[in-house]
Amino acid sequence: MNPSFLDQLWLARNVILSGLGLTVSISLLAILAGSVLGVVVGLSLTYGARPVRLVFRVYTDIIRGTPVLVLVLASYYVSSAVGVNLDPFSAGVLALAIFCSSHVGEIVRGGLQAIPKGQTEAAKAIGLTFGQTFAYVLWPQALRQFLPAWVNTAAEMVKASTLLSVIGVAELLLRTQEIISRNFMSLQFYFFAGALYFVVNYGIERFGKYVERKTAVPS
Amino acid sequence: MNTTIRTGGMLAASVFLLLSTSAYSEASKLDDVLARGHLVLGTGSTNAPWHFKSADDKLQGFDVDMGRIVAKALFGDPDKIEYVIQSSDARIPNITTDKVDMTCQFMTVTGERAQQVAFTVPYYREGVGLMMKGDSPYADYAALKAAGSSVTVSVLQNVYAEDMVHAALPEAAVDQYDSVDLIYQALESGRSDAVATDQSSLAWYMAQNPNRYKDAGYGWNPQTYACAVKRGDQDWLNFVNTALHEAMTGVEFDFYSKSFKTWFGKDLLPPEIGFPVEFK
Amino acid sequence: MGYTLNFAVVWRNFDRLLEGLALSLGLAVVSILIGAAVGLAVAFALISKYRAASWPATAYVTLIRNLPILVLVLFAYFALPQMGVRLDKIESFVAVLAIYSGAYLAEVFRAGLLSIPKGLTEAGLAIGLTPMQIRTTIIAPLMLRNVLPSMSSTIISLFKDTSLAAAIAVPELTFQARKINVESFRVIETWIVASALYVATCALIAALMRRIERRLALPR
Repeated sequence: MNPSFLDQLWLARNVILSGLGLTVSISLLAILAGSVLGVVVGLSLTYGARPVRLVFRVYTDIIRGTPVLVLVLASYYVSSAVGVNLDPFSAGVLALAIFCSSHVGEIVRGGLQAIPKGQTEAAKAIGLTFGQTFAYVLWPQALRQFLPAWVNTAAEMVKASTLLSVIGVAELLLRTQEIISRNFMSLQFYFFAGALYFVVNYGIERFGKYVERKTAVPS
Repeated sequence: MNTTIRTGGMLAASVFLLLSTSAYSEASKLDDVLARGHLVLGTGSTNAPWHFKSADDKLQGFDVDMGRIVAKALFGDPDKIEYVIQSSDARIPNITTDKVDMTCQFMTVTGERAQQVAFTVPYYREGVGLMMKGDSPYADYAALKAAGSSVTVSVLQNVYAEDMVHAALPEAAVDQYDSVDLIYQALESGRSDAVATDQSSLAWYMAQNPNRYKDAGYGWNPQTYACAVKRGDQDWLNFVNTALHEAMTGVEFDFYSKSFKTWFGKDLLPPEIGFPVEFK
Repeated sequence: MGYTLNFAVVWRNFDRLLEGLALSLGLAVVSILIGAAVGLAVAFALISKYRAASWPATAYVTLIRNLPILVLVLFAYFALPQMGVRLDKIESFVAVLAIYSGAYLAEVFRAGLLSIPKGLTEAGLAIGLTPMQIRTTIIAPLMLRNVLPSMSSTIISLFKDTSLAAAIAVPELTFQARKINVESFRVIETWIVASALYVATCALIAALMRRIERRLALPR
């Protein structure tokens, strides 16, 4: 790296930090909202009545197959079509949360269905209601099982947040592009941004591992 | 404004039906903007010298100055602007869905686009030029043309990009990228032998990187840049036109020519006094 | 006057979108096949008891999975030539996507490998197979069958990642869609059609994977 890159980096430090801050807040909001919504989707997919299951199956399949960019554009423009004028930030977070919910929904369903049926039957046999069975038997096990996949999804959300640059949200990628358009040091700044994304995602991964260890069944 | 949606039914169709105010019953956007107290301008933030961020994070460039001219005409203060940063893809949808009052973002006027938005009077005439590395084996345009199909040219993505390059270099291979920095990156890393893009952008880039690049000395493909507003509001279009027109020929000429000098490095002759230039 | 949808431009250029889709699929198939081979080798390395094998494998998987793929794509295309490695557009993208798939599939395979009972290896050793024979003839086939469901979602997201090739001017589906956008500005219409093509292809991939899953399922 040549010294002029470091000069430029220093000059742009506040801009980069504000972009990083926005990327982190977008990701956090989308992951939180998406996970809550995703649990609802997952439960409906697993325990819902047939028509409910069908509706949510169509929902997850369409959302998962759609490029995130399209979801972002759709949420920004559709919101104004129906009279709710979402600003780019909210529209972007909404799109990411919806995308996240479809993935979390699938993960929750997979986790719940992987639990042998015998357990539900056993729980019924000892007189637990469905609510109790779910809360004390099924959910804790499913939670452990889907943690790794959930961490993956969270890291995906961070990467997908770059697409909000298209509707003008000044997250890390757009900030980086703004800097590049001034000094034309594309590779250096793209790699620097790449390194920052790596740090954020690596942090999520370590956090996931930590929670995994904490919740592991002692063996 | 919601009548179309209600009568049309809010079912599947409404998903992408983007509504707008009807021109007949409501006041002009001019009154809305005046009442609001600031202009909402759509532009980009990643293309010098048109619209980009200064080191202290302020939006600047020739497009931005066009917006400032309109704000000055509205409020006597060029800073009364709220910027909506948008990618090139978002230019038209943001106008048709009322996210912005107007867009100034090096928008080339074409017939197809003019069916979707209303263009203002032009504020710049652009042409395409070719730039090579200073140590390029090709001396100039003639050498590039003579090299035929062994030359690769990097350009900004466009449906007509290939035809545009082939008009000047009939046999050259064309690689299209979706951002300006990548077409320069392609030249820099030897992925292409020349860059074909707006002469204004090339001039700016060469001024920022003195002695590293050379102009092939050939220009072609004229295109007009204009701001755009929503269709159907003649009053507002008229106002913006007046503001831009007077910046190029009347009382705000100093504003325009100073901006022109800053971003394109050229001095403009003031409009001739006497018979109006536009009727010559 | 509201915004009315007008798909005429998109239909006029529909063959270009299809060409783009074909290229996207081609890129995905080649990269994922290479990536699966890499991923399998890396997965065995990940669970190896030798640190010399497990450590580099872990580093590879961690590094690649946490980087935005766009950065890798730009690196391979623009920075590698400056270091003397010069691949053309398609080669460099396939190389990147293969490396990327390798890391993701390695994780999927690792989870599959861990679920295979140790007894099988011991049984294999008992009947005189070498460790390599045990891996290729017993463990790998069993593991592949187990991981098919999670593989299918990985493959779908890798297929969608081919859209990043647009950044280096590979004329796949996203590139073609953008190209149509740039001139016509029928952004919404073009993306609707392009994403319908993506959704349909992903649904086909998912259906195909489920079919393979059923074919290979052990009779109960």
